[in-house]
Amino acid sequence: MDEQFLIEKLKQGDEAAFKQIVETWKDMVYNTAIGILQNEEDAEDVTQEVFVQVFESVGSFKAEAKFSTWLYRITVSKALDHLRRKKRKKRFAYIQSLFGANNETIIEKPDFHHPGVVLDNKERSAVLFKAIDRLPENQKIAFTLHKLEGLSYQEVSEVMKTSVSSVESLMHRAKINLKRTLSGHYENRD
Amino acid sequence: MNGQMKNKQQIEQEIDKTLESLDGIQRAIANPYLFTRIKARLQKQDKSFWERATGLIARPVFAIATILLIIVINLTLFFQSQGGQTPAATGQEGEQLFASEYNLSGSTIYDATVEPQ
Repeated sequence: MDEQFLIEKLKQGDEAAFKQIVETWKDMVYNTAIGILQNEEDAEDVTQEVFVQVFESVGSFKAEAKFSTWLYRITVSKALDHLRRKKRKKRFAYIQSLFGANNETIIEKPDFHHPGVVLDNKERSAVLFKAIDRLPENQKIAFTLHKLEGLSYQEVSEVMKTSVSSVESLMHRAKINLKRTLSGHYENRD
Repeated sequence: MNGQMKNKQQIEQEIDKTLESLDGIQRAIANPYLFTRIKARLQKQDKSFWERATGLIARPVFAIATILLIIVINLTLFFQSQGGQTPAATGQEGEQLFASEYNLSGSTIYDATVEPQ
């Protein structure tokens, strides 16, 4: 079915159209979310939240932007909210542990293995994901959309509502930061 | 010196290989039952509107905020009534106003019994 037709149908509350939309774009949303969150359960949760929002606010979608761009924007925003919430909780648990109010031990984040990585690259990609996780938000988003979703700089700029040159700059800085983190990792290992 | 150079070169090679480790990555596949779960979530949201509303009201933050609001309104009204008293409402004039309001200014039985000396 045509994308525009599906959206129009969804605006009328058509469940079949909604199902078709979920089936068509669920992997794209999930893959973006998992790249940012680096956790399968969190990514599934955010994917559900994204489609719930799509269902509730499809009326506000204007055909000026591509539907996939709109979906990417919602995904990125929901994933970042989720990350911030998680960080806040972690910080609060840490403060509680300092005052002895919380006896639970704070568990260090385990290595993340992306399900789409080739077996040979599993260990290396886990190291890379750890470094990606330490990037500033904007660099992380640009890098994830470009590397994991294969978006061009032009497409990334549309999702992030910025210019192509800004995306180029973000990617450049992201690579420098990644190299620095990885260099530290391999120097300490030897 | 030569060993250090070699070591640095090795590290750079490792970094490059690691940066390339995402090349050819496949998309992660979402749960096949995702739509059913989203539907359940939407239904739960519809059903639990009143639950959520009562849940929000029952939250301690909400209760404390309401109490604080009531205290602030009370204090504001108290200080307004203190500072905003008109001179007419005080002293003798006030009594006269009160008397006229309740029709007490006219002659009473006591007035009638008082005889001039």
